[in-house]
Amino acid sequence: MTLPAGPGGTPVTVGGQNALPLLPEGEHPNAPAVGMEVRTGPQELPPALSGAIGPFAGDPAGMARKCAGDWGARFLFLSLAGCHPDAGGQSVSEGAAVVREVLSATPAPVIVGGCGDEEVDARLFPAVAEAAHRPVFLSYAEEKNYRLVAGAALAYGHGVVSWSPIDINMAKQMNLLLADLGFPPDRVVIDPLTGGLGYGMEYTYSIVERIRLAGLSGDAALARPVLCHLGDAWKAREATDASEASWGDVVARGQRWEETTGLACLAAGADLLVCRHPASVARLSGAAWR
Amino acid sequence: MALTALDIYKLLPKTNCGECGQPTCLAFAMQLASGKASIDLCPPASVEAKEKLSAAAAPPLPKVTVGTGEREVVLGDETVLFRHEKTFYHPTAIAVSASDDLPDAGFASRLAAIRRLSFERVGQRISVDLVALRCGSGDADRYARAAAAALDATGLPLVLLAPAGPLAAAVRAVAPSRPLLAPSPEDLVPGAKLAAENTLPLRVRARGIDGLSVALSAARAAGAASLVVDPSPVTPREAVDFATNLRRLAILSRNRDLAYPSAFDLGGFPDPFLAAALLVPKYGSLLVLDSADPAELLPLLTLRQNLFTDPQRPIQVEPGVYPIGAPNESSPVLVTTNFSLTYFTVRGDAEAAKVPAHLLISDCEGMSVLTAWAAGRFTGESISKMLAECGIERTVTHRTLVLPGMVARLSGRIEELSGWRVLVGPQESSALPSYLRRLPPGAFLPVHG
Repeated sequence: MTLPAGPGGTPVTVGGQNALPLLPEGEHPNAPAVGMEVRTGPQELPPALSGAIGPFAGDPAGMARKCAGDWGARFLFLSLAGCHPDAGGQSVSEGAAVVREVLSATPAPVIVGGCGDEEVDARLFPAVAEAAHRPVFLSYAEEKNYRLVAGAALAYGHGVVSWSPIDINMAKQMNLLLADLGFPPDRVVIDPLTGGLGYGMEYTYSIVERIRLAGLSGDAALARPVLCHLGDAWKAREATDASEASWGDVVARGQRWEETTGLACLAAGADLLVCRHPASVARLSGAAWR
Repeated sequence: MALTALDIYKLLPKTNCGECGQPTCLAFAMQLASGKASIDLCPPASVEAKEKLSAAAAPPLPKVTVGTGEREVVLGDETVLFRHEKTFYHPTAIAVSASDDLPDAGFASRLAAIRRLSFERVGQRISVDLVALRCGSGDADRYARAAAAALDATGLPLVLLAPAGPLAAAVRAVAPSRPLLAPSPEDLVPGAKLAAENTLPLRVRARGIDGLSVALSAARAAGAASLVVDPSPVTPREAVDFATNLRRLAILSRNRDLAYPSAFDLGGFPDPFLAAALLVPKYGSLLVLDSADPAELLPLLTLRQNLFTDPQRPIQVEPGVYPIGAPNESSPVLVTTNFSLTYFTVRGDAEAAKVPAHLLISDCEGMSVLTAWAAGRFTGESISKMLAECGIERTVTHRTLVLPGMVARLSGRIEELSGWRVLVGPQESSALPSYLRRLPPGAFLPVHG
C-alpha cells in the first residue's frame, strides 16, 4: 500500500510483511512510517506542544512544510477540524482550499481528515476529493458514511482510511463493505481507533495485534496496513498537567506520553503512526525498523 | 505443549469411581485440561500419570520471586505469547539503579527519589518495584553498607549488581530480604554458589541465547536453582529479538533449559527509554533503568498497568458522582456506565466542552452503555435508584438528567420512577461538546417543592 506523493516528493509504502513486527524473521520489505498531524481551526495546545508547534497556529501550509522538511515527517495528516461548527466553522470550500494550499506547499503524501461533524463531513469529503489535485487518502470511512467517503475517493482516485471503534469484527466488516463497493484493497488503511496511554491504549494494542495475526494467517479482509493516530495521548491529564510537580517536567512528560503510546502501537504491529510533537518523529522512527 | 482432555483421559484409571467429584473420568479429564482441577483429586491415579500431569501443569515459564512480604516481586510464570489469548499475569518489574560510589548525601537523596516513583492512577498504585544497587566503589564493606541503607530507606527489594567479593558482603548484610544476585559475568560461578548457599535468586548474564545456554549450565552445576537471564543485547532491536526468542522457547518449545524470566540491565544502553517501552509489551520480566525521572517512569509504569490488565475482565471505574470541571448546583447532570473506556471517553468529551457538569457513573459491572442495557444492568430502575441514592439530589437544585442517546428508550421509565426530567443526549460521546454547549441554561433551573 502506497500513500502517493506529489512531484518531487517521496511516496510512503508500507505493508508487504509476512511476519510479526520488530523481529528479524520473515520479510519486512517496508519499515513503518511516522507522519505528523497538521490541524486547522483554533487549538488549545498543552505545554509540551505549544512551544514546538504553537508558532504555526493558523498556518497549515507553513506547518506542513516544516513537518515534512525540518521535522522529518514522511507524510502529513491534515485534520480539517476548523470546519467543525464549534471550532469557528470554516466553510467547506475554505476547508477544500486549505487542502489545495497544503498539497501545493509540500510534495509529501497527505491524508485528509474530516472535522468530526457528521453533517459537515458529508459535504466536506466530496469537496476535498474534488479539490485535491493529486491523490490523497480520506479519513475516515466508517459504517455510517462509507458509501459517501469511498464514493468520493473512487471518483477522484484517492484512498480511504477505514475506521472502526476498537472492534476487530467491525474492522473486517468495514473492509468487506468497501470491497463490495469495488474499492481497490491496496488503497485502504485500517484505523482501529487509538486509545491514549493510560486511557484505553491496551484495547488498541490487542486489536492491532489481533488484526495483524489474522492478516498473517490468511484473513484477506484484515491484511491491510494499520494506522494509529496518537492524538488521544494528548488528552491524558498526565501528558498535559503542569500542576503535579511529582510527575516531572510537563514538557518532557507530554513528549514521553506520546512516544510511549506510539512505541506500544509499533510493538503491536502498526504501519503508520501520526504524531503531534516534532520530537516524536525521530524518536518513533528509532523503533520503526524493518 | 499442553495436554488435551483426551491425552489426559488415557492416563486416568477410567473407572468412573467418582472420588474426584466428577461423574466420569472423561469429565474429570476435561476439568484437568482446562486447569480447573488438579490430579491430586484422583487418589487411584498411577504414579506415572501423576508425574506426567503435574509436569504438564507446571507453568511453561517458571516463577522467580525477589523480595519478601508485601514487596515481593514475581517474575515469569506466564503462559501465553499474546495478552488476548488469556492474559499476562506478572507485570514487568522495574528497578531503578543507585550506585554505592555516590557521596553519602547524594546516595540518600537518590534513594529518596526512587521511593517517590510511585503514583496513584485510576484507583491503583503504580510504583517502581526494586532498587538496583551498582557497585561503583569496588569496596565490599561500602557496598554492603549501601545495600543495608537502600533496603532501610526504600523498603524495596534489591538487585545486587556487583563482583563476587562485594556481592558476598552484601548478601551477609541483606540476605533475609531475598535480593536478586546479579554477579558480573566473569564471577558467575562464585555468584551462583552464593545464590545456592543462601537459596537466593540469581541473574545469569551472557551474550545471546547461545552464551546463556553455556552460562546457565555452569550456574545450575554450581547449585543455583532460581534463575533469571540477561542475554545482554546491545541495541533495542536485539533486546526485543532476544526477549521474544526466550519467551517462545519457554512457551512454544517448552525448552526447560532456557525457560527463565528475562532481565535487562539497560544502564549504558543507547536508548534505554525506547528499549524499556518495547520490552514492557515484548516479554521483559525485569528492567533495570538508570533514570529516576518521573517524566519517564510515569509513562512506563502506565504502559505496564495498561498491558498487564486482564483483557477478559473489563476495567471498572468506582461508581459514584464525578465532577467535570468545577460544577455547582445548577450544572448539568450526565449519566453513563462504569466501563473504564466508556468513562474515559465520556469524561474526556465532557471536559472538552468546558461546561462544568456532574457525571454519574452507574454500576454496570464494567459494561459499555449498549451492552449494559442489553444485559439489564443499565435500566430505568437502576438509573432511578442511583439518582435517589447517590446524593446528587442534595448537590443540585434542578432535576434534569442527560441520558446517553443510545438508551433514549429509558427516558419514560426514568421520568416515571424518579421524577427527574430526561434530556436525550447524543448517540456518540464525541458529540457531547457541541451538545453541552448548546444546552439552554433554562434547562437546569431549580425545582420548587
